[in-house]
Amino acid sequence: MTAPRRVLVWGDEDDPPIERVASVLADRDVDVVRIGSALDDVGYDIAIAPEPTGALEVAGAEIPVASIDGLYLRPGPPAPARMPAAAALSALAGCLRGPVVNRPTAGRSNWSKPFQTHLLAGAGFRVPETLVTTEPAAAADFAGRHGCVVYKSVSGIRSIVATLDGAAHDRLELVRNGPVQFQRWIPGRDVRVHVLAGQWFATAVDSDAVDYRYPSHEGQVAMDATEIPDDLGRRLVALTRSLGLLLAGADLRVTPSGEWYVFEVNPSPGFSVYEDATGQPIAAAVADLLAGRGWPASPAALRRRR
Amino acid sequence: MIAVVGSRHDRVALSLVDRWAGARLLSAEDLVSPGWVWSNEGAAPRWVVDGRTVDDRDICGVFVRRGAVLADELLSIHPDDRAYAAAEAHAFLIAVLGSTAATVVNPVGDGALADDAVRPDRWMAAAEQVGLTVRPIRLSDRPRRERRLQQRVVEVVGERAFGDTPERWRRGAVDLVGAAGLVWACCVFDGSGRVIALTTAAAPSEEATAALGALLSQTRVGA
Repeated sequence: MTAPRRVLVWGDEDDPPIERVASVLADRDVDVVRIGSALDDVGYDIAIAPEPTGALEVAGAEIPVASIDGLYLRPGPPAPARMPAAAALSALAGCLRGPVVNRPTAGRSNWSKPFQTHLLAGAGFRVPETLVTTEPAAAADFAGRHGCVVYKSVSGIRSIVATLDGAAHDRLELVRNGPVQFQRWIPGRDVRVHVLAGQWFATAVDSDAVDYRYPSHEGQVAMDATEIPDDLGRRLVALTRSLGLLLAGADLRVTPSGEWYVFEVNPSPGFSVYEDATGQPIAAAVADLLAGRGWPASPAALRRRR
Repeated sequence: MIAVVGSRHDRVALSLVDRWAGARLLSAEDLVSPGWVWSNEGAAPRWVVDGRTVDDRDICGVFVRRGAVLADELLSIHPDDRAYAAAEAHAFLIAVLGSTAATVVNPVGDGALADDAVRPDRWMAAAEQVGLTVRPIRLSDRPRRERRLQQRVVEVVGERAFGDTPERWRRGAVDLVGAAGLVWACCVFDGSGRVIALTTAAAPSEEATAALGALLSQTRVGA
């Protein structure tokens, strides 16, 4: 009799994606080892190498590295005293042989939005006209040329996307204090696409808010499962793979004339909101991957499954 | 112009500025100063280097001496805003270095700079790819006695290797640096020829500094 697969789930129980993936894995008789963000019951004596060795100690139980078949991680920040443990686990996540959703270094392009925009354009995706500047005159010129413009953070720090209205226009002098990112407003319908190995789940988001994550009142956002062109889906799969990600949440917008824009690719998507709204089995698909189904993902798997 | 991206408190960065003709320091404060223009619309990008505005086409080479922009460096920013401003400046720096046509040493890797882009999982995979043996890195929270390792360093600039080591190590180091997507790095071997580390944190040697200066001052393609 073979031992059940063992998957580490690193994150907090009150984080819905973490809880759902852990729950599906347990239902599938996978040995789930839970590690909380606090890392207060985790010890380590490991050797980082192309084939890592050693063992973790989790809640008093020894977990040999060789027995770990997969890892799902969405941890919050640890206490300063546990930073070394977090660094050790991150290093292990970087070199484990099995599926890791996602390797910590894989999604770092998302920490620089204009850098990721550059990568997206290089991969052939349509991206909004973008200006990053510390020059008020350049910002005013950009706004003047494009009419409707939004501004948002340059880094991965979450910011509320806002339109450059009259009041914001009056504050353009402040860009002299640090780089600000401006983009031409793209009219159309938001579509979040969760890409996982060779498949994708698309959700249309209808909202009157400039940034649908921050609606001005409850019930303002409607989400529905939708279709995207197969070619676009395949290209998103290839992009996700090229970024070294197994799971990604891509933010797109389709214009009234049918042009697809890609804004960014999130390497640690909180997919549960979309799953709740559409019934798409995203947690189950993540669990499938971690449980060894569809791993390693092959080009032959470039098919939608819904 | 060669732009050395580093801190005003980094003596190595300052010495490289002195050593390379036409080099200037691009400091953290430059990243939050007026003058930057960076767009994807084809307009001419502009940098701010050493307090002055410079057209992107006038930057031939960039040497990166920092992995991050630190909040404490941004003295012109209100203390409450420094952490956010540093994250924004760092993200902007990544975008600039990741899209300029100038030669960047070392290029942005996985959205990161310097040794943050050369993490063990990356260089170990590269070492495996070029047939080098890796000495595992032990990480432990248990008390243990540190063993002093015999270390031999090969420094690489492009296809050139510097350091008094066997030729096969030098060839291996050149292959490793290339496979890791780097231009300049120090490859550290143990006495058995296993790779212990690949790092860009060291100060370039005299020979490497000369080689880097020549590389970074080359006229840009299309300029």
